[in-house]
Amino acid sequence: MNNGAGRRINGGAEEDEDEDDVNGDLDAWERTYTDERSWESLQEDESGMLRPIDNQALYHSQYRQRLRSLSSTAARIQKGLIRYLYIVIDLSRAASEMDFRPSRIAVIAKHVETFIREFFYQNPLSQVGIVTIKDGVAHCLTDIGGSPESHINALMKKLECSGDSSLQNALDLVDGYLNQIPSYGHREVLILYSALSTCDPGDIMDTIQKCRKSKIRCSVIGLAAEMFICKHLCQETGGTYSVALDESHFKELILEHAPPPPAIAEFAVANLIKMGFPQRAAEGSISICSCHKEAKVGAGYTCPRCKARACELPTECCVCGLTLVSSPHLARSYHHLFPIAPFDEVTSSHLNNPNCKLQRNCFGCQQSLLDPGNKPGPAIVCPKCKRYFCLDCDIYIHESLHNCPGCDSLRHS
Amino acid sequence: MKFLIEDVTVYFPYDHIYPEQYCYMIELKRTLDAKGHCLLEMPTGTGKTIALLSLITSYCLSKPQSPMKLIYCTRTVHEMEKTLAELKILHNYQIKHLGPQARILAIGLSSRKNLCVNPTVVAAENRDSVDAGCRKLTASWVRALASENPDVAMCEFFENYEKAASAAVLPPGVYTLQELRAFGKEKGWCPYFLARHMVQFANVVVYSYQYLLDPKVAGIISKEMQKESVVVFDEAHNIDNVCIEALSVSVRRKTLEGATWNLSRISQEIDRFKATDASILRAEYNRLVEGLALRGNLPITDNWLSNPALPDDILKEAVPGNIRRAEHFLHVLRRLVQYLSGRLDTENVEKESPVGFVASLSSHAGIDQKTLKFCYDRLHSLMLTLEITDTDEFLHIQTICDFATLVGTYGRGFSIIIEPFDERMPHIPDPVLQLSCHDASLAIKPVFDRFQSVLITSGTLSPIDLYPRLLNFHPVVSRSFTMSLTRDCICPMVLTRGSDQLPVSTKFDMRSDPGVVRNYGKLLLEMVSVVPDGIVCFFVSYSYMDGIINTWNDSGILKLVFIETQDVVETTLALDNYRRACDSGRGAVFFSVARGKVAEGIDFDRHYGRLVIMIGVPFQYTLSKILLARLEYLRDTFQIKEGDFLTFDALRQAAQCVGRVIRSKADYGMMIFADKRYSRHDKRSKLPSWILSHLQDANLNLSTDMALHIAREFLKKMAQPYDKTGSSDKKTLLSQEELEKLGDGSMHEMSY
Repeated sequence: MNNGAGRRINGGAEEDEDEDDVNGDLDAWERTYTDERSWESLQEDESGMLRPIDNQALYHSQYRQRLRSLSSTAARIQKGLIRYLYIVIDLSRAASEMDFRPSRIAVIAKHVETFIREFFYQNPLSQVGIVTIKDGVAHCLTDIGGSPESHINALMKKLECSGDSSLQNALDLVDGYLNQIPSYGHREVLILYSALSTCDPGDIMDTIQKCRKSKIRCSVIGLAAEMFICKHLCQETGGTYSVALDESHFKELILEHAPPPPAIAEFAVANLIKMGFPQRAAEGSISICSCHKEAKVGAGYTCPRCKARACELPTECCVCGLTLVSSPHLARSYHHLFPIAPFDEVTSSHLNNPNCKLQRNCFGCQQSLLDPGNKPGPAIVCPKCKRYFCLDCDIYIHESLHNCPGCDSLRHS
Repeated sequence: MKFLIEDVTVYFPYDHIYPEQYCYMIELKRTLDAKGHCLLEMPTGTGKTIALLSLITSYCLSKPQSPMKLIYCTRTVHEMEKTLAELKILHNYQIKHLGPQARILAIGLSSRKNLCVNPTVVAAENRDSVDAGCRKLTASWVRALASENPDVAMCEFFENYEKAASAAVLPPGVYTLQELRAFGKEKGWCPYFLARHMVQFANVVVYSYQYLLDPKVAGIISKEMQKESVVVFDEAHNIDNVCIEALSVSVRRKTLEGATWNLSRISQEIDRFKATDASILRAEYNRLVEGLALRGNLPITDNWLSNPALPDDILKEAVPGNIRRAEHFLHVLRRLVQYLSGRLDTENVEKESPVGFVASLSSHAGIDQKTLKFCYDRLHSLMLTLEITDTDEFLHIQTICDFATLVGTYGRGFSIIIEPFDERMPHIPDPVLQLSCHDASLAIKPVFDRFQSVLITSGTLSPIDLYPRLLNFHPVVSRSFTMSLTRDCICPMVLTRGSDQLPVSTKFDMRSDPGVVRNYGKLLLEMVSVVPDGIVCFFVSYSYMDGIINTWNDSGILKLVFIETQDVVETTLALDNYRRACDSGRGAVFFSVARGKVAEGIDFDRHYGRLVIMIGVPFQYTLSKILLARLEYLRDTFQIKEGDFLTFDALRQAAQCVGRVIRSKADYGMMIFADKRYSRHDKRSKLPSWILSHLQDANLNLSTDMALHIAREFLKKMAQPYDKTGSSDKKTLLSQEELEKLGDGSMHEMSY
């Protein structure tokens, strides 16, 4: 038995020849172009010039699809209109990675800005605060408040990333703040998480249970990969968990959090809230501003109860604690409860029908619904008032106006 | 749901079925029709167990005129419980649809350690002491003594069971081990003996491999199984190793010392008996003259172990004259032990065939082959006569007799190897004499011969044509199924180069190269930074793992690291903490060894294993004498080339390791084969087809940075929500109507 000593039987000799078979693997730089296929979005016009394809049609169809998917779920459900949202931004080492261009944190900051603006536009009665996690510690960057500018400014100043990330610390901090919120407010946390792990001082499961007990809805948007603990957190507290594929997907995901979520059933008790509708002070009047603690000239609002001056609406009066809003704010929140029904698409044959001559133009913008070549373009019809609209008006009505001009004019006449 | 497969109505307890389950059932049904054996490979996480159970029970229900018994063999107690739980769901479903006529009796049988309800006995720490503890309370002579002397302790559960006698039966139903214990406690009957008794009547029996394959145990437990049984070996990819282990014995210096001590105790006992009651010894002598066949009428608690040889040979012959007297037998054993310890003193590695060994034994110690053959039974009979209950003390002498009987019985397929020291540590003398079995078919042959159908199934049986050759049987069906997936939820990659483009491999001449070690370390570090939660990393051996970890020790690693060690308790603790780390979002890496306990039995599903890195090809230690002897035997007897067998064995281990990550279709995971040898076709093609089908050509020859990029994209893609049933053109869940619509033809296209 000495023949085995020097020999190893795993197909020894021929192993050295390296099979460097050329595989059809694309290089990284090629791959970005194959995904985008940017050359396909160009076309040649009559004079031989290159110009981008008119992809409005594509845009319209995407929009229609989204609208349909939204409306299918949106039966009349109770929604939390007064939201207290903390945005938790992970500023750990992982946030400085460059897989999003120029870096994750730059992308996050950019879209958080858009989000905050959009959030206040859609939820004028709600308030936002920002918490950052850095070096394993959670900091409150801005207190909860209703002014988009102050949040954005504060955030843009602090974008350095370092250290580990701790989900538990952030949740504990937020939980402490949100517990003081009055019961009619809906407590929410939106966590933008770059890291793939969390370094916690204690048992995070306890913290999750605590959040659940104080009815905080936690949602997470991950930037790298699915993490179990985040998923668990969202499941437990009724939030949503998503992971961004790329920048545009991230934007989509974060904006999904702008419209108010359905209220947690056990929590959704009807409540009366005391609110004040302050008057705008006269131009040129001088008063001591309660929020800045200094004298200001003009353009302020006066609290109807204590007559203190506030700079912006909506807010809470610093002196008497009354919620100060203006009526357009209430009206803007209103449409979440009663959304306009999605419009139906019109078949082109119907449009060509000579019987309904009146309806050749869009009711909104009065443009002809027919193409330049006198072919019928895409059109839609409101199921209630049977008015025809072009797609651009459709988007405008559903996204911005939240009222159907056709129905409203019918009511007046 | 209910559906027809040919002439059998299958009752399936869920509303939807995977297409591959349906195919699996069709093949199974054909096997049962043909009354033959079969080999089926289907990936884990596709519901193999339930498909198997529901088809076989439905088959029995549809053919009431020919009752069939299902013997389901699992590897671990945990799997046994899982199987019984599934069977319970199925059984409830069948009863709901068919009424009481569908009632069956299904039980799990395990060792006393798992079934005993006597609090004093079950408190013992290991299996052997529980067995001994039970015997101390239930052996016939103890009970006889107790009837005279009320101070002698007895097991009340066993007494109650005995009193109930034939009335002690289990009502039909499915009993998990837990429920069996509860039932026993409630009635006051011993669950172990009840289960042993009910095995003969049960329609479904679930137990461990050993009960069928290890001839010592099989003789008692499985003797009375009828021929019309279907035997299922689940997770059977290592079945050849189990067979071989069942017939291999190793003798160390410690064993011999223990045996000598045992012998002196036995001789004391004999003297004591001679002084007090010589008639017992004489009665034994007379019984031996008439042959061992009479042993059958000993009470059931007393026959604890049986002959490892084929029972028929022995029972026909009478015990040879020179060992009939107890003293003579002791002399023979003493000489045998002496001879063995003399052999162990050797300085060189020796290899011998059993025939040569027996010849030298008879010339040096004067023990002939026939005497050897009977050693085991003779010892057994002697211990019964001497009323020895603490059998766990006598394991050493039992090992020696086991060895003697095996050597005496088999002339072929074995070899005896004496190594004076461990190859890896030549300075420490640790002589070991190994009787190693090379032929897996020896242990399993009686099973194939005796039972009508034997099904061997597992997630990894590739290449499927090698198993029939290793086990020496002819399957009527052997097939491999792929997994139908709604999304590409597994991502196998072959990594051949580090980020510096140098090849990585654990080949012998490369493994200690610092560049390779550094590249492996880098791979792990980079992967840790992109993969969340759990990562499992398999190494080829403990020694290599230790070496490589020492080299990495300087570099900081982000996640917690847990390491499997050879100590079971430590490993369990490490695993628990690993799970906790994954649960709490900390993330962790588990270092483990291919062929270790973790690689075989522990699942790293969901977030516990998002990535498996298989570092190197887990070839066996090719300089091991046993392996060389086995390879030689395989080449001579079965015409299997050494290289083929080694590659097959290595790849099946690798597949087993990486298969740990994915346990259901909703799960996802990545697998990295980090060795340049995996990119070679002869290695790669031996991976199971469900892995191969997801291994894209682009991922065959990656470097670390490319793998990193793919991992990032894959993880993002998998994190997106998905539709469970699959889109319309790629159905992965079939409802009843869809199933009925599908003819046989289209199903075949979907299977591999």
